[in-house]
Amino acid sequence: MIFSSTDYDAIRLSVQVAITATLVSLPVGFGVAYLITFVRFRGKVLLEVLVNLPLTLPPVVVGYLLLLLLGRNGWLGSLLNTAGIRIIFTLKAAVIASAIVGFPLLVRSLRIGMEGIDPQLINASRTLGARWHDTLLTVILPLSAPGLVAGSSLMFARSLGEFGATIIVAGNIPGVTQTIPLAIYEYASSPTSETMALSLCIVSVAISLVVLFLHEVMAKKMARKE
Amino acid sequence: MKQIAKMAVILTCLFHLSVPAVAADVNLSVAASLKEVINELSDRFAKQHPGVKFVNNYGASGALSKQIENGAPSDIFIAANLEWMDYLKNIKLIDSASITTFTYNTLVFAGAPGKASAMQDLIKLDRIAIGSPKSVPAGEYAMEAFKKAGLDKQLGKKLVMAKDVRECLMYAERGEVDGAFVYRTDALLGKQAKILFTVPQELYSRVTYPMALTATGRKNSYAATFFTYLHGDEAASVLARYGFAAR
Repeated sequence: MIFSSTDYDAIRLSVQVAITATLVSLPVGFGVAYLITFVRFRGKVLLEVLVNLPLTLPPVVVGYLLLLLLGRNGWLGSLLNTAGIRIIFTLKAAVIASAIVGFPLLVRSLRIGMEGIDPQLINASRTLGARWHDTLLTVILPLSAPGLVAGSSLMFARSLGEFGATIIVAGNIPGVTQTIPLAIYEYASSPTSETMALSLCIVSVAISLVVLFLHEVMAKKMARKE
Repeated sequence: MKQIAKMAVILTCLFHLSVPAVAADVNLSVAASLKEVINELSDRFAKQHPGVKFVNNYGASGALSKQIENGAPSDIFIAANLEWMDYLKNIKLIDSASITTFTYNTLVFAGAPGKASAMQDLIKLDRIAIGSPKSVPAGEYAMEAFKKAGLDKQLGKKLVMAKDVRECLMYAERGEVDGAFVYRTDALLGKQAKILFTVPQELYSRVTYPMALTATGRKNSYAATFFTYLHGDEAASVLARYGFAAR
């Protein structure tokens, strides 16, 4: 396997995008999962549907809508453009696309984790005088750690594989926005680069295996602690 | 039991519906930049020869040759450079005696007016779309021109790789890139993007469209007739109308 420098870039960028997308989504995902699990409010169903929407939409649709929104002529894009911020065809766009597509997976796992918390523990903390944010930080957050781990690794893995939305909003710029799936796509459409496409596929499989393996190990460790 | 039999019948019907190969089908694999020309020519031909059905597949020449290599149905292949035609010729999937030149084209830089007026201006730009040189001839010609002009190093990280030349044009049309390297005939179709400059011919090899019957196309009489039609005067006038150079 002899990779060119842009292939190494693709591997680095993939990991970079997946980590950033997961980290950025974690606090928001935690907040949304908390709202859905513990707070009663009107329009909850709507929020649930909205959160899960990217899971059922074709990623290309997500990408295209993002392009219309953030593109130079989009309403948010033109606004940002006057402020000198460019999103489309930069790594930021790849992160946004991955974050949106992976978000439902994160929230789902977090909710499962939170729903598993014994409500008596929460009630006890409240009767002992804890404010809602104390309960959130000292009871709910530590107890939903398994969901947090599961959600983050799922989302990380999903972000690594993001293709449909990314190719539309991040373009395919070798060394700048070209992630592993985009590089494979480019190689795969050329008859003479079959081995290169295959080599990157192997890298992709290896990274996924490492992530899943780590996830299992961490889940086992947590189960033992309990 | 009866239900299983019913299911089997339904499944068989569905299966047969999805098998397209009829004798009068002509499958074309054509470089993306020729889309309008070939659509018009195949429509005209189909009117003159009732019973012929065209299945037109447009894309990057490299991607098309890979499809043909992997067994995609194709009777006539028209590429936008010699490389991919030679590739198929070398693995004997092309009737090499039939290879002729369909037409020629020139490479231009298209974008919003005022962005650039010569190759040297490209350095000042932020995002430039080209076809992925791995499979898109327009991208290969562009890379060749960058190298000859000594710009390839400076432009490296500004290049957005499109899957074919038409995607390049679309990026420029929507203003997502400062400009795109496309063929003159593509740029003529643009509404927002205009030709900013023509790439000097000494920087890249002449854009040549070779066409040929494939190994399977040789046995398809309708494909052979259409192939002859593509050499005729009617084809030449349609090509000229879309701005292609005479052969």
